[in-house]
Amino acid sequence: MSDIPQKPAAEETADAALFEAYFEAFASRDPQAFGAFLHDDVVWTISGPIDVIPYCGTHRGKAAVIDIMARQAPKVLRGVRLVRDKFLIDGNRGAVLTRLTAQVPAEGRTVSYRVANFFRFENRKLIENTSLLDSFDAAEQVLGHALDIGDAPPLADDNIVAL
Amino acid sequence: MAHAVTRQVVDAFYDAYATGDRDKLAAMLHDDVVWSIHGPVAVMRYCGERHGKAQVLELAANILPGVLADMKIVHQSVVLSGDEVATLNRLTARRRSDGRSIGYRFSHFLRFKDGKVIETLSIIDTYDAAEQMLGHPLAVRDETISGADNLVML
Repeated sequence: MSDIPQKPAAEETADAALFEAYFEAFASRDPQAFGAFLHDDVVWTISGPIDVIPYCGTHRGKAAVIDIMARQAPKVLRGVRLVRDKFLIDGNRGAVLTRLTAQVPAEGRTVSYRVANFFRFENRKLIENTSLLDSFDAAEQVLGHALDIGDAPPLADDNIVAL
Repeated sequence: MAHAVTRQVVDAFYDAYATGDRDKLAAMLHDDVVWSIHGPVAVMRYCGERHGKAQVLELAANILPGVLADMKIVHQSVVLSGDEVATLNRLTARRRSDGRSIGYRFSHFLRFKDGKVIETLSIIDTYDAAEQMLGHPLAVRDETISGADNLVML
């Protein structure tokens, strides 16, 4: 049975307590607590380069999303901590701006970058989430070195005018 | 009590922003506005932090349109919460220098004061955006990530 406060199935408007409880479960990285909030048909998208951060991409279904949190993401980042800067709620939609801090396994190096999460509930279960991060910065931190952008920067977007 | 921002105000703001309409934007910006776009300035020179109405207008009405033409913003999610607004969007545009199409996701976290925008923080999928701006994939050497089992995935 779910730990989520129950309301009639037809209820389409979430509430602050539900959103707060969801975010705490998400931030805790506890698959069981997190999974209790997920709709069976949840679609979870993380915008970013999958060749650098393999758990980026779109994941469909509760089992796949829990697998990302429990098994895939810890291969890339351990000891994830989320500090939220902003938390907005509007009906069944929410948006959270966080700062993520974590360690790269083996090296123990610390990475830190901002993540924006936009999510939607349906029948008091999370049905959709899109995570957006400054993925260029995140990729450099995860790799541990600057990305090679070659000699393109001055021309990349007409910077030659600015120079 | 904080002034609640309406969807009409948000739509008007994005109309002005997407078209680089200096006068309309000026009317919607607080004098002390702070505008932050997280991303690599070396690749996208409109990234960085601007302070005050003059700097933000220079960004929105001059720098950004100087890089991207025919900019369109489609909202994928709009979250209104009192004096704050968060939007998840897809931006499409044409790179002015060569006409190439650009499209990437970005989010805005806006805060209003006295009915005007006083704070904007933008998170862009910058890896994707940078590759499109550069016109080629970013070279990632094969060292990848320690412990990520990427060999299996690649």
